[in-house]
Amino acid sequence: MNWLSNRRFILPYALIFLVSIILLAVLIPLTSRLAYARSAESGLPPDFTLTYLSVGAVALVAMLASSIASSIYSQRNISVIKQLTVTTRQLGEGKYHSFAIPRQVESVPEMHALSQALEETAAKIEDQISALSTEQVMLSTVLGQMTDGVLIASHDDRVQLLNAAGEKLFGFEENAALGRSVIEVIRHHALVELWNITKAGKSKTITIEIGADHKFLQVIGIPLGEQLPGRSMLLFQDLTQLHRLEIVRKDFISNISHELRTPMASLKALSETLLDGALEDPVHARHFIVRMDTEVDNLTFLVNELLELSRIEAGRTSFEFQRIHPCDLMNKPYERMLLQAERAGLSMSMDCNRDLPTVFADPDRIAQVFINMLHNAIKFTPPGGHIHLGAWIHENMVVFMVQDSGVGIPEKDLKRIFERFYKVDRARSGGGTGLGLSICKHMVEAHGGYIWAESEEGRWSKLFFTIPIASG
Amino acid sequence: MPRLTLDREIRLIQDETLLLGSLVEQAVLNAVDALKSRDAAAARAVIRNDIFINDKRFAIENRILILFATQSPMARDLRLLAAELELITELERIGDYAKGIAKVAEELANDETPVPIREISTMADMAVSMLHRALGAFIAEDLDTARSLPAEDDQVDELYKTIYRKIVQGMIADPSSIDHSNQILWVIHNIERTADRVTNICERIVFIATGELLEMDSSDDELESPES
Repeated sequence: MNWLSNRRFILPYALIFLVSIILLAVLIPLTSRLAYARSAESGLPPDFTLTYLSVGAVALVAMLASSIASSIYSQRNISVIKQLTVTTRQLGEGKYHSFAIPRQVESVPEMHALSQALEETAAKIEDQISALSTEQVMLSTVLGQMTDGVLIASHDDRVQLLNAAGEKLFGFEENAALGRSVIEVIRHHALVELWNITKAGKSKTITIEIGADHKFLQVIGIPLGEQLPGRSMLLFQDLTQLHRLEIVRKDFISNISHELRTPMASLKALSETLLDGALEDPVHARHFIVRMDTEVDNLTFLVNELLELSRIEAGRTSFEFQRIHPCDLMNKPYERMLLQAERAGLSMSMDCNRDLPTVFADPDRIAQVFINMLHNAIKFTPPGGHIHLGAWIHENMVVFMVQDSGVGIPEKDLKRIFERFYKVDRARSGGGTGLGLSICKHMVEAHGGYIWAESEEGRWSKLFFTIPIASG
Repeated sequence: MPRLTLDREIRLIQDETLLLGSLVEQAVLNAVDALKSRDAAAARAVIRNDIFINDKRFAIENRILILFATQSPMARDLRLLAAELELITELERIGDYAKGIAKVAEELANDETPVPIREISTMADMAVSMLHRALGAFIAEDLDTARSLPAEDDQVDELYKTIYRKIVQGMIADPSSIDHSNQILWVIHNIERTADRVTNICERIVFIATGELLEMDSSDDELESPES
C-alpha cells in the first residue's frame, strides 16, 4: 500500500500509538493493583475509578496529540498547495522561467510529484510556444514582405488581417482597418461582389482597373472554409506596371509591323511592275531596280537601328569611356553633318568654350547622339533655317544643346518623342524610323545623363542632354 | 437591444453608401475612358448602369426612412442619418454627371476631331480622387480631411478654366468645330460640378461632427453657365 511507504507521515501516529500502549500497559496494572490493595485494606469492593481516569486521560492525550500532528500536516499541505497555486498562476501568465517550485514541496512526496509534473508541463508549453512564435514571426515576415496584398475577413464582413502590401494598396493602416467592414477598406463594388462570391464558398479571380490612380489589379478570392471556418481571404496582385508594359509591347508590335510593311509593299509593287513587263524596258527597269535598292537600304537601316536599340536596352553595348573635352565631342559630328545641312539649304553654327571641364564619355556614342539629333533638325527645318550647337556647364553636368528654327514639336508630344517609333506627325516625318531619339535617350542615360526637349511650335525646337563632369 | 439594432443598421447603411460611392466613382472614370477611347459601347454601358445607381440610392433612402420611423434616432444619430440622406442625393447627382459625359462620349465616338483628353482625364482623376477621400472621411468622421478637401476644388476649377479657354480658342479659330467643342464644354462642366458636390459632402461631414452647417466654398454656386 502506497501510503504505508510514506513512513514520515506514519511515524508521529505510530509514536503516539506506541506511547499510549506503553502508558496503558503500565497504568492499567498499576492502578488496578492499587485498587485491589485498597479494597483488601478496607474490605470494600475494588474501586477502579483511577484506572478509568488514567485510561481516559491517555486516550484524550493521544487524541489531542494526533489532532495536533494532523493539523501540522494539513497546515503544511495547505501552504504547499497555496504556493503551487501561485506557481500555476505564474505559468498561466507565461512566466516559464521565473516559475519557482516551493521548497516545502520536498517534504510532501505527493506534492513533489505534482510539482514535477507542473515543471514538465511548463517546459513543454514553453517549447510549443517558442515553436509557435518562431512560426508566427516567419509567417508575419513573409506576409509583410510579399508584394501581393492580403486581406482576411470574417463572414460578418469585419477585416481581421491586412498585410503591408494591402495597407499600401488601400491607404489603410492595418490597425485602423481591423474590425472595419470590408467595403470600408477595399472601397470598390466589383471587389465587394467578389467578396460575396468568396464568402459563399467559391474561389474566383478577377482583373480590374480601380480608382483615380488607375491601378490595375488581379484579385483572387479564396474561401478559408476548412482551415479557418467563417473567414475568407482576398489576394491582390498589382499588375499596373505589367499592364503598362503590355500596352508598350502592343504599341511596339503594331508600330514595327507598320514600319516593315511600308517598304515591303513598295518592294512588292516594284517587283510586280518589273515582272509585268517593265523588265523588257531597260530604262524603266533600271529606274525600278534603283528604287528597290533604296527600299532595301531603308529596311536594312531600320533593322540595324532595331538591333542597336535592343543591344543597348539589353545592356550589351560596350562603351569605351574616356576623359574628353566637350568641344571635342561636338566637333566631329558637326563637321560630318555640315555638308548635309548646306545641301538642305541650312546654315549651321557651333558655340563651345574651351574653359569647360572634361567629361567622362564614349566619343563615338555621343557623336551618334549628335548625328541623330542633327538628322532630325535638318529634316524638320525648312530651307533658309539655322541650326545651332551649344554647350555649357550646369551644376555637375555639361549641358549640350541642338537648336533649330524648324517646325517645332507640339507640347503634348515633348515627352513622348523619345519613345520607340513615336512620330509627331506620320505624314510629315518622311522616311525616318522613329527610333533615332529613342537610341539617343538610351545612350545618354548609359552615360548617367538626362535628355529632354523644349519647343515653340512653328518657331524652334531645342533638344538637350547632359553628361556628368569627370570627377577628380 | 434597440440600440444595437440602430447601430447595426447605421453601419449597414454606411456600407451601402460606400458601395454606391464606388459605383459612382467608376461611372465617372468609365465615362471619361469611353470618351478617350471613343468607345460607344462603353459609353452606352455607363448610361445603362446609371439605373443601378438610382436604384441603390432609393434603397438606401428607404432604409433611412424606416429607421426614422421605427427607431426615432436622436442627436448625433439623427444628424448622421440626415447627412446620409443628403449624401446619397449628391452621389446620385454625380452619377447623372457621369451619364452626361457618357452621352457626349457616345455622340463623339465616330468623330475624329481631337479632344484635349489628357487634361480632361487629369481633371476627372482629381475629382474622383476627391470624392473617394471624402467618402472615406465621411465614414471615418475625419474632420481634417473634410476641411482640407474643398481647397483641392480650386485646382479642379483652375484646370477647368484652362481647358475652357483652349476650347473657346479652338471655336474662334475654326467655327465649324463649335458643335463638337460645345459637347466637350459639357464634359468639363460636369467634371467641375462633380468636384463641387464633393465640397457639399465635406460640409455634411462637418455637420455630423459639430452640428454646424457651413458653406465651405463661397464659389460653389449653382452657376449653370461657365465663367472665365
